[in-house]
Amino acid sequence: MTHNVTVVRALVRRALNEILRVPGAAIPGVLAPTIFMLGLSSVFGKASSLPGFTAEDFRTFIVPVGLLQGAGFTGAATGVNLARDIEQGWFDRLLLCPAPRATLLTGVVASAALRALLPAIFLLIVAFSLGVSVPSLLGLLIATVLVMGLACAMACFSVTLALRFRTQQAAPLMQIASFTGVLFTTSYAPKPLLQDWLRTVADVNPVTHVLEGVRQGFVGGVTWGHTWPALLATAGLIAVMGAFAARGLRRYGV
Amino acid sequence: MAAIEVSQLQREYRGGLKAVDGIDLQVQAGEVYGFLGPNGAGKTTTVRMLVTLLRPTGGRATVAGFDVATEPHQVRRRIGVALQEAALDLLMTGRELIELQATLHGVPSRDVAGRTQDLIGRVGLSDAQERRVGTYSGGMRRRLDLAMALIHAPQVLFLDEPTTGLDPTSRTTLWNEVRRLKQDGTTVFLTTQYLEEADQLADRVGIISAGRIVAEGTPEALKAEIGLPHLDLTFDGDADIVRAREVLTPLGEIRADTAPGADLSLGVREGSSAIARVVRALDEAGICVGRVELVEPTLDDVFAARTGGHLEGAGAGAPAPDAAR
Amino acid sequence: MTDPGFSVRVVLALARRALRNALRRPQFLAPLVLFPTLFLAVNVGGLNRTTTLPGFPVVDGFLDFQLAGAMTQSLLLGGVAAGIATALEIEGGYFDRLVASPIPRVAIVLGRLVATGATAVVQVTYFLLLGLLFGASVKGGVPGVLVVYLIGIVAGVGFGAIGQAIALRAQNASTVQGIFPIALVVLFASSAFFPQDLLSSPVDVVARYNPLSYIVDGMRAPIIDGVGSTSVLEGLGAATLVVLAAGGLAVLALRGRLRDA
Repeated sequence: MTHNVTVVRALVRRALNEILRVPGAAIPGVLAPTIFMLGLSSVFGKASSLPGFTAEDFRTFIVPVGLLQGAGFTGAATGVNLARDIEQGWFDRLLLCPAPRATLLTGVVASAALRALLPAIFLLIVAFSLGVSVPSLLGLLIATVLVMGLACAMACFSVTLALRFRTQQAAPLMQIASFTGVLFTTSYAPKPLLQDWLRTVADVNPVTHVLEGVRQGFVGGVTWGHTWPALLATAGLIAVMGAFAARGLRRYGV
Repeated sequence: MAAIEVSQLQREYRGGLKAVDGIDLQVQAGEVYGFLGPNGAGKTTTVRMLVTLLRPTGGRATVAGFDVATEPHQVRRRIGVALQEAALDLLMTGRELIELQATLHGVPSRDVAGRTQDLIGRVGLSDAQERRVGTYSGGMRRRLDLAMALIHAPQVLFLDEPTTGLDPTSRTTLWNEVRRLKQDGTTVFLTTQYLEEADQLADRVGIISAGRIVAEGTPEALKAEIGLPHLDLTFDGDADIVRAREVLTPLGEIRADTAPGADLSLGVREGSSAIARVVRALDEAGICVGRVELVEPTLDDVFAARTGGHLEGAGAGAPAPDAAR
Repeated sequence: MTDPGFSVRVVLALARRALRNALRRPQFLAPLVLFPTLFLAVNVGGLNRTTTLPGFPVVDGFLDFQLAGAMTQSLLLGGVAAGIATALEIEGGYFDRLVASPIPRVAIVLGRLVATGATAVVQVTYFLLLGLLFGASVKGGVPGVLVVYLIGIVAGVGFGAIGQAIALRAQNASTVQGIFPIALVVLFASSAFFPQDLLSSPVDVVARYNPLSYIVDGMRAPIIDGVGSTSVLEGLGAATLVVLAAGGLAVLALRGRLRDA
């Protein structure tokens, strides 16, 4: 067991190393959700004056979207990095070491959860300094758990794609999937204000629950009614995506 | 009029590095000129200047009668170029690439398809012509590169290290193609780091080192400067070496310094064709020859004599500076 | 060889090549249209009630308003893609072969620009059809549609020239790829997705001077208003300015690269 933990820790450290060694590659990913949030709130800011809008201010409303986008992009980047490792042959070397495959997967995915905190922290610093009110400690805690959880789920999804396609050219697919998953929810407006088709999609999309779970710290208040669906959705996504990834890993090279 | 005339050609980079440091050379029409030198000597830089891809910082050069600096357009119409890295578009098929090249060189539309098929057949790519170039092997890409250089029937063909990295079969194919081009009257300027290639193909050879030409002439003349070919002879058992000397004296020049391991070294002007005569003479004299080895001076010996370094493989001697592209 | 017939033949041959290669890499084409479509869908689905905000121009629906923005986003991405293709060509060495051929230097850039223009037609057509499918209509009728195509093609070629200028200067594909997010940010700081009068700070100030605002408004006016609006002229003017400026930059970059070679 301790060997497994060691392997996981080593893989996490390697993933974190990449950020330190090649900051140029990491910076766009860290900045992107913040820039997107700033852009959206500047362009659509007046939407918050629509009757039925639950937040005082559009920016506060979409900060949670930015947090989840950071999680999504980090998850996608995990898959892209794995695709690169596969292309360059390093992954084969990894498969040859005596750690069970489940451990390898855990290591890769755990690094995503940690890395997702970077864009999130940056986003929050910028948002708070622009006047967005700081949530309660409980709200922040729940948001952190959900962000890390979604990052894991998205990482499992992109890892599955990376194992399937084995090329970095699958990167846009991973990025668009995470982008769509986060945006096709109550991202821009509360459910009643959405067009019918989008309301249906948001109802079906489990990420909507995750988003509402993060948002409750910023808009309204933290309630159990919003928290348990978010936790359940996140756990469900991790379970399903994780199963796909595990299967993909089992089938790799067979 | 010479096909290529170069006078004090120079290429200096920022910082003072002179990749090409004032070279003079002349290539007659219909000649195959071998430009030989180690990596970093300035071969590629010279070629890039002659094909108008790089501007000289000093000196003059004319190709097919036109100045490369002031009339590059006229030069480009008359030259074919196959550079060190095959310059191909991997997404296109072989046929599409050659047809495009024909269009770019002004081949009339009605002739494009016909000429393309001719050339594709000539370089042996007929079966692969509808496949994307990205799927071609290294040898196939070089052959396609050559076809693209020939599509407009250029007067002067530039080949920059055409067989580096190729398997022996592809190399032979390319050599035969060069010989055929010479028969057709095309002037060929060929750079290479392989002695054998220069020896086999070139009418004249120019040896470049550290941006300067250190030797120029026909391969035979250059090698003759170093010395005659010689036979290293080893005799059986207790053969009479003194008698062997007597027998062989009229057949060549007995060398004062015998090669290590041999009993006698005989300089023979005719090279390998002297072997039969020597062995017969010794046989008639009853002397048993154990081993005969012909040793000929090589262009590497020429290079070593002029620069102290070596052309091929690891060599002690003058290091070649890294010439930036 | 300044024979115009030859020059035209060369430009068309290079344009044909650029288009053929683009079609052979569909995974690079899809994001050009897919991403703006998704963004369009979410914007309309989430914020279509904003048309009721005071100060919002009169429109049949938010979709009608958003179409021009989606088109421009797609054209911008197309310009970056053209730049990436040129950068890959330089990296791969084929560019050298073009330079060593007896073609007018400028044909190397023009060929790809013609291809970009042709792609722009497809992109504009896609969004017009998409809009019509989901209930939008072009108030300016057939002349309106023609105006949208005109500004779209001119702008698309202009963006392509920007992409090529960057590629010729940077000479590697990763740098050009880094322009994607910058292009999107610049598009955000315009009236592409929301009326200029309703933008919040700091974007509202930038949008006033952003040529993209005029280009988008120029394509939007025929859809929600009619061809008579001054926005059309301003849009055409802005697009032409972009083409001339970017084209000039591209030619300068080409000369620079040929000289420094």
